[in-house]
Amino acid sequence: MKTSKGWKRKMTWLLSAVLVLGLLSACSSGNNGGGSGSGTGTGGESPGTGNGQEGTGETQEAPLKLSFMVPAFETELPSKDSPVLKALQEATNTDITMQFVPNSSYGDKMNITLASGQLPTLMVVDRNSASFINAARTGAFWELGPYLQDYPNLSQANPIILNNSSIDGKTYGIYRGRVLGRMGVTVNRDWMENLGLEEPKTIDEFYALLKAFKENDPDGNGKDDTYGIVVTKYAGPWDIMQTWFGAPNKWGESDDGSLVPAHTTPEYMEALKFFRQLYEEGLVNADFAVMDPAVWNDAITNGEAGVMVDVADAARRINDKMQDANEREKPYVNVFQAPVGPKGHRDMPTSGYANVIAVSKSQVKTEEELQRVLKFLDQLNDEDMQMLLGYGIEGRHYEMVDGYIHPLVTPEDVALSTELRSMNQMLMFIGPETPTLESTEINDKVTEVQALNEEIVVANPAEPLISDVYAQKGQQLDNIVNDARIKYIVGQIDEQGLEEAFQLWRTSGGDDYIAEINKLHQEAQTNS
Amino acid sequence: METTAQASDKRNPQRPLPVRQKRSWTTRIKKDRWLYVLLLPGLLYFLVFKYLPMWGVLIAFQNFQPFLGFWESSWVGLDHFRNFFGNPDFVRLLRNTFILAVYDLVFFFPAPIIVALLLNEIRVGIFKRFVQTMVYVPHFISMVIVASMTYVFLTTQGGVLHDLIQQLTGRSFNFLADPDWFRPLIILQIMWKETGWGTIIFLAALASVDVEQYEAAVVDGASRFQRLWHVTLPAISGVISILLILRLGNFLDNGFEQIFLMTNSLNRTVADVFDTYVYFVGITQGAFSYSTAIGLFKSLVGIVLIFGSNYLAKRMGKEGLY
Repeated sequence: MKTSKGWKRKMTWLLSAVLVLGLLSACSSGNNGGGSGSGTGTGGESPGTGNGQEGTGETQEAPLKLSFMVPAFETELPSKDSPVLKALQEATNTDITMQFVPNSSYGDKMNITLASGQLPTLMVVDRNSASFINAARTGAFWELGPYLQDYPNLSQANPIILNNSSIDGKTYGIYRGRVLGRMGVTVNRDWMENLGLEEPKTIDEFYALLKAFKENDPDGNGKDDTYGIVVTKYAGPWDIMQTWFGAPNKWGESDDGSLVPAHTTPEYMEALKFFRQLYEEGLVNADFAVMDPAVWNDAITNGEAGVMVDVADAARRINDKMQDANEREKPYVNVFQAPVGPKGHRDMPTSGYANVIAVSKSQVKTEEELQRVLKFLDQLNDEDMQMLLGYGIEGRHYEMVDGYIHPLVTPEDVALSTELRSMNQMLMFIGPETPTLESTEINDKVTEVQALNEEIVVANPAEPLISDVYAQKGQQLDNIVNDARIKYIVGQIDEQGLEEAFQLWRTSGGDDYIAEINKLHQEAQTNS
Repeated sequence: METTAQASDKRNPQRPLPVRQKRSWTTRIKKDRWLYVLLLPGLLYFLVFKYLPMWGVLIAFQNFQPFLGFWESSWVGLDHFRNFFGNPDFVRLLRNTFILAVYDLVFFFPAPIIVALLLNEIRVGIFKRFVQTMVYVPHFISMVIVASMTYVFLTTQGGVLHDLIQQLTGRSFNFLADPDWFRPLIILQIMWKETGWGTIIFLAALASVDVEQYEAAVVDGASRFQRLWHVTLPAISGVISILLILRLGNFLDNGFEQIFLMTNSLNRTVADVFDTYVYFVGITQGAFSYSTAIGLFKSLVGIVLIFGSNYLAKRMGKEGLY
């Protein structure tokens, strides 16, 4: 009896100890997670240190430890052992902890990371997001402007884009450069040939093309199973097409020089009437307002729709996908510039950059450290680093044919392609230009369209301005206008309903927004 | 064991109760130390994960800037609440949230009770278990899948269910985009997914109903429906009232995931509820203080409803929560 009691007591002790320990370890493991997530260097591996010392000329300097948060467009991503990442670390004498975040939830994750205070050394951030602006203004990031001139590549940054991506005139992040005139109209090539149609040069011809795709049985199967243009929940195509009609890019200059939002212009109304007609006649998919953008391309590849208005390089991706299913010499799609509208040849540009790379002050404490981090960023713009992160290792992921890049990665070899996935998200494309992809009909056409676009893109005069009203209420304001536009297109509301929604926009903060943007705009003009 | 039991029996009458009370709290703790040790993890859990973070609601009265931190951020008093109640969105959000919550209470809450009562009347054991299992299954399907299934079945571009209804009625219903269909869709989804799971607790309560009462009722000539009304329902009414009180505490929680997934440009006017609004304002726009204020308002409504319904339940002679 006595022994059994003693045994029971021991068990009680043991069990309670296990419970308490379990709880404590749960807490501490949570802390560890945060620590290594922030990449203060606890995650560093000793082999990496050894490599760095052998690999570079600077024998004494230990590799720079840094963490880098970038958006990821795939689910399977490079591991710590990826040869591409290793080559990058060796070339730049660094020890990098990559933090890949799915692009679809990048905004959320970015805000939460900013709120947590556990920032990575470097992170890709949306310069327009309220939380980044607040964080930069309260001093969470280094102001990089004065340092850029000391670096061979970074000093070549385009001053206009630098200004567009600045906050209160200060550069808190280095922009990731993008082609300015990136948009294009992708059209099913076979359908055009079957119906004997030419490139749509005007909006009328564009309309005729859509109509023919719907009514003239372009795939020749004798069934009424095709339609013109595919659009999804993502409102981008409407934004692009309304600029064709002469609507401004977000903000337009009125006759007296003040800025007015796009939806208040008569050209915007013209565009909307056209969209409504497209919907009424069934030239656009009836379920576009609820369709998931993830299946956008499918409508073209499955032969349901014939036209897509998006970035021009979408044509390449669609063609690749159709070639995978059934390879042939001739490309499946063609890509064109925007058609000419009543106000001339116009198209929507990108901002010239896609987000900026910011350096956090909580990880990079001193100016010396900052200079090393900037040196790393500068190196990323070198030609060989651009090639490495964009196309992989020569002989492994690609080979050079007549000065062009020929990818060796096939869709089947997942392991090989995983090694460099989303690594190009670190690139800024400032400075040296690299060789391009090999010349194929579709690649050349995309490059041609994007080059020609430079002359017809419409700039947004309010691009560099930062409105506090918009930072606070932007989402709601945009929702009011975008939802009203969709409702008008599908016929849920008429012009009066549209007017009421715009009125609601004004009372919900739109008037303040207009006033603030105009004030900022005038200040900027008097300063320059 | 017998000897110890006898020994304590003998000792008990001799030991006067007051002695026990005289003992200091340290000796009492010492005596029950194992119980206290067992209590510790639970206590720690609530302190660390429930009570400590509660101080965070104070940022609802600040203009909180993450980089400045809690101590450096400026205090703004009730500004965020004033902004929120004065916002044109507020009335719309309140209406949408309440209507959905009422629909949920009226249509979804009784559903598991009805299904449980029906299941209870099934005589063939194996068939009953089969049906039970089948109605549980949807609970294990993620809301994301349910939402995309709804889309696939109901899309106007070749959705199977949409086409079927079109053939039967001769009309095309745009279920996904029509604001009038949003609330019915949400309630139908949640009924399909959770009704079976909800029956579990009621079936357990039904199992405890005294069989003799049924036999007595049969002898008295009660019909099946009368037995259900006068025996079964009163027997499980305590469980129903407790679950109702608990549900009322979460009255304004409409289930963020489901609504977020089902929202689109065309039905946003009826789909915006507090939960999705907090996400848009707090997470995507980074207005942490403002969204905390909204969350706090929601919690206050929840507390009022819990206390109110508990009070009412007790007044009506039912068991309350506490």
